[in-house]
Amino acid sequence: MLKARNSTLASHATDLDLVQAALLRDRKAAARLVELHADAVHAYVWRRLAPKVDMVDDLTQEVFLAAWRGLDSFTGAAPLRNWLLSIARHKVEDYYRRTLAAVCVPVDGDEESEPGVALADLDGDMDAAQKARKVAKVISELPYEYAIVLRWRYWEDRSAREMAQATGRTEKAIERLVARARAKFREQWEMSK
Amino acid sequence: MTDDVLRRAADEAVAPEQASSRLKSRIYSGLVAAAQDAGPLRTLSESKADGEKLCVFEHAVAALPSTGLQSRNPCVVCHARLLAERVERAPIYWPGCPYARFCGH
Repeated sequence: MLKARNSTLASHATDLDLVQAALLRDRKAAARLVELHADAVHAYVWRRLAPKVDMVDDLTQEVFLAAWRGLDSFTGAAPLRNWLLSIARHKVEDYYRRTLAAVCVPVDGDEESEPGVALADLDGDMDAAQKARKVAKVISELPYEYAIVLRWRYWEDRSAREMAQATGRTEKAIERLVARARAKFREQWEMSK
Repeated sequence: MTDDVLRRAADEAVAPEQASSRLKSRIYSGLVAAAQDAGPLRTLSESKADGEKLCVFEHAVAALPSTGLQSRNPCVVCHARLLAERVERAPIYWPGCPYARFCGH
């Protein structure tokens, strides 16, 4: 317990040292920032944008540039890694917003708002971790706008209202899009059995 | 399956463990360029005094008497940067070179 606390304190001090050096425009601090955190930021972005791997690299680079330019706002209240990941989250959501704003969303149809598809009976014999892995895989194989809408809704925990506000769509239109994405998800799930 | 399982999948999605060395190299070059846009880079002799390792070219720059010259970025004209930004795990072995470290050497 004490060892873990000491290690946390040490990494906190390292974070502040690194940021201080970076604010002096020290190129070696830039190298250390990349070396310590690029893998984590890249993995985070990759999970949320797969399979568009070309976008993953661009967005990861944007995260670091935004972080570098905003280093003076890093207070050290949270670890540097968390701070970088929160920037990554904003960048990802911004990408979702732009992508969904550009796609056609259904304007009519008989879909229920969100629940639409009953998913409770899917592969009841799988344990939760196996199921979650399969969910992630199936989502990555969906048409891209469906993958994005499900990730945004469930992984970033955004309500249909928040997504509607961000994309300039109506809440109803987003709910229909989520319902269609869930229906397609179920179809793909069945096919992948 | 509940919405909860859909949510949990965020942590289970498989992603590569490492970013490519090309990406790391490009990010690093971008950060140094951004730092230069904001003002002169910290001199290499100051970095060295802080215990940072320099590559052979940086050592040469650090030995220059002018602070202005020391604040320049020799990587801009270095073949190691060009290689590292384009070739995965490029064969760069200069000790102290950040690009060599990104390439795992």
